[in-house]
Amino acid sequence: MTGVNPEFVKRLEPLSADLGSACFNCGTCAAICPLISEHFPRKMIRYVQIGAQDRIMENARELWRCLHCGLCTQTCPRGANPGEVILTLKRYVTSVWRKS
Amino acid sequence: MSEPQRAKAPDAGEQAKVGVYICYCGGNISDHVDVEKVRERMETVPGVAVARTNMFMCSDPGQELIMEDLRQGRINRVVVASCAPSLHESTFRSAIARAGGNPYQYEHANIREQVSWVHHGQAATDKASRLIAAATGKARTLTPLEPLRVTARRHAVVIGGGIAGMRAALDLADMGVRVALVEKTPYLGGGVSRLVRLAPTGEDAAHLVTTLARRILEHPGITVHAGSAVTTFGGYVGNFTLGVSPVPGACAPAGETWPGGYVPGKGVLVPPSPDGGAITLETGVVVLATGFASYIPRPGEYGFGENAEVVTLPDLIQKIGGLEGQRGGTLVIDGRPIRSMALIHCVGSRQIPGIHEEDANGHLNEHCSRVCCTSAINTANAIREACPQTSVYELYRDIRTYGRGQEELYAKASGNRVVFMRFGADQAPVVQRGAPGSGHPLKVTVTDQLTFGEELEVPVDLVVLATGMEPGPVADLVEMLKLPVGADRFLLETHPKLRPVELPIAGIFLAGTCQAPMDAGETCNAASAAAVKAVSLLSKGYVELDPFVAEVDVRRCTGTGACVQACLNPGAIALETMDIDGRPVTRARVTPALCLGCGACVAVCPENAIDINGWTLAQYEAMVDMIVSDAVCQDSGAVPETVGA
Repeated sequence: MTGVNPEFVKRLEPLSADLGSACFNCGTCAAICPLISEHFPRKMIRYVQIGAQDRIMENARELWRCLHCGLCTQTCPRGANPGEVILTLKRYVTSVWRKS
Repeated sequence: MSEPQRAKAPDAGEQAKVGVYICYCGGNISDHVDVEKVRERMETVPGVAVARTNMFMCSDPGQELIMEDLRQGRINRVVVASCAPSLHESTFRSAIARAGGNPYQYEHANIREQVSWVHHGQAATDKASRLIAAATGKARTLTPLEPLRVTARRHAVVIGGGIAGMRAALDLADMGVRVALVEKTPYLGGGVSRLVRLAPTGEDAAHLVTTLARRILEHPGITVHAGSAVTTFGGYVGNFTLGVSPVPGACAPAGETWPGGYVPGKGVLVPPSPDGGAITLETGVVVLATGFASYIPRPGEYGFGENAEVVTLPDLIQKIGGLEGQRGGTLVIDGRPIRSMALIHCVGSRQIPGIHEEDANGHLNEHCSRVCCTSAINTANAIREACPQTSVYELYRDIRTYGRGQEELYAKASGNRVVFMRFGADQAPVVQRGAPGSGHPLKVTVTDQLTFGEELEVPVDLVVLATGMEPGPVADLVEMLKLPVGADRFLLETHPKLRPVELPIAGIFLAGTCQAPMDAGETCNAASAAAVKAVSLLSKGYVELDPFVAEVDVRRCTGTGACVQACLNPGAIALETMDIDGRPVTRARVTPALCLGCGACVAVCPENAIDINGWTLAQYEAMVDMIVSDAVCQDSGAVPETVGA
């Protein structure tokens, strides 16, 4: 069971220039991503949308595989900036990790 | 028992010269039927004067072929072999009339839907030959007929005072037709008065209803009979008679007076009908604008009826109104703060046999209600913009924000951080009481396809069911006017593209959501279309009907009355006393405008005294003779192979 938390996205807001609100889950970002990792970065963006904080922390390691090549942001049909969402999550995970 | 001798079909005193015109349909026919071979065969058929082919017989050059042969006197009967008669029979009849011929000396052979689309090879060519030969057999015996002409009252009755009825009434009245608008409630406004802001433009529903209602009430050509319903119906196109009676209890609530302005959820109060009691309306046409009903969920469907926090979208829209005074950040309903809410789509729409439960009458709503996606998203946007502290989840199967400006609402919802979740038809979300201490009275569990099939638990304070549109409760009108009803139980037009607002019953038109789910804009489109169709029907002061109706040969009739018993349209045929050879006798008489031309009377007449003009038994016999004749092609004994079989 994945918990849904509308408050989570508010915690990310100060850390982000764009939280991918325009995303409609098409998966173009995952298709173009050179990592060819399962549904990356689409899955992370979806977890941000629904506020699945636990899932993000469980899979935080994946964030550091990102090469920041920018292909996802370049190809996103909705202009949703997936690359910035990944950067935001890295900032968030780092801040939480520091506190713990 | 010997079959009574049938009179030979009259031949109008002239030699029948049949022209046969065979269409390629751009390959649709000629890919499977050897059209030139069929033409060669037709040239040998008795009575055929010319046989021609064309790539598209319905094109101007194709029609010109026929018209030129008629003008030159080469032919006086026409057979066109092409697509189904529902598509182009009227095209060719009118071409004949333009060339000075009688449009009823025409017979149509369908060699596309009934041949080339379902057979191929030699068998297809043979079947086409036999069907066309049969048509020529009938064509030879066709006598000139004149359309039935009935005078038409320049008056329309519009049933239903929602925006469809108001739009149609205004358009009709502006075009000079007197209108009686019959509405069963004391208000004008219908379904739109239960809305607040219309998607996608944000137009104010109250303003729209008020504007239309004021114009209706001020129009000298429109009489409104509010709080009244149609109770009797009779007559035929141009000459309908409707009985209208007050609906018991449909009077305005005490304290409300006219002009009472706009009452949210109800509409604009109308002064009571001046006549008070039951009245009779004589009219030329009837426009049906009876609207829709909102689906009411079954008790327990998504927790409806069991939890006060589960409501329908129409109820929510009325409860929150324009969200005035909801600027505190969190939506408040009935004093309860709503921090999180879920909107569930497709409730009572797109139901699937075996998955969804039928209603008490065994019905499923298999149709898409079309407007609820946009309505739900419009409401979500309004709430997110006025109350940013309220989270909104939309749980959907598919989203269909069709139409101008509606996809933008969806994009706006994404920007407003409305969270969408997608469920499969067989994995409906489950609404349960929230865990104690969760701070939310309800929780919704959903297997979300957008989160890769993970099961999500959404704590919410409110669940809103986006209920669909169902046909309105018009069983009495369906019965009274003999209206055709589709599998979805909405009223059914003659053809969705060729006759989209007409019914097979001439003079009755459809306007708005009595026909199918529509939004307010589409409803007005349909209503204006119905008004224009009605006016064009009335414009000449008379109506012409196809003459394919029963005719009694009073010399053969013995007055058995079997035809009256068999008649499907009461009043179309009746026994009456008439004078024949100086003796009063009882004979059957047809009222042509009421006759449906079905032939039920022909079949039961023991004296063979009735025939349908243009479809006489002798003409059927001529067709059958040609079908079984080997004159056009030898019977190969082969069963035609069906394409795809």
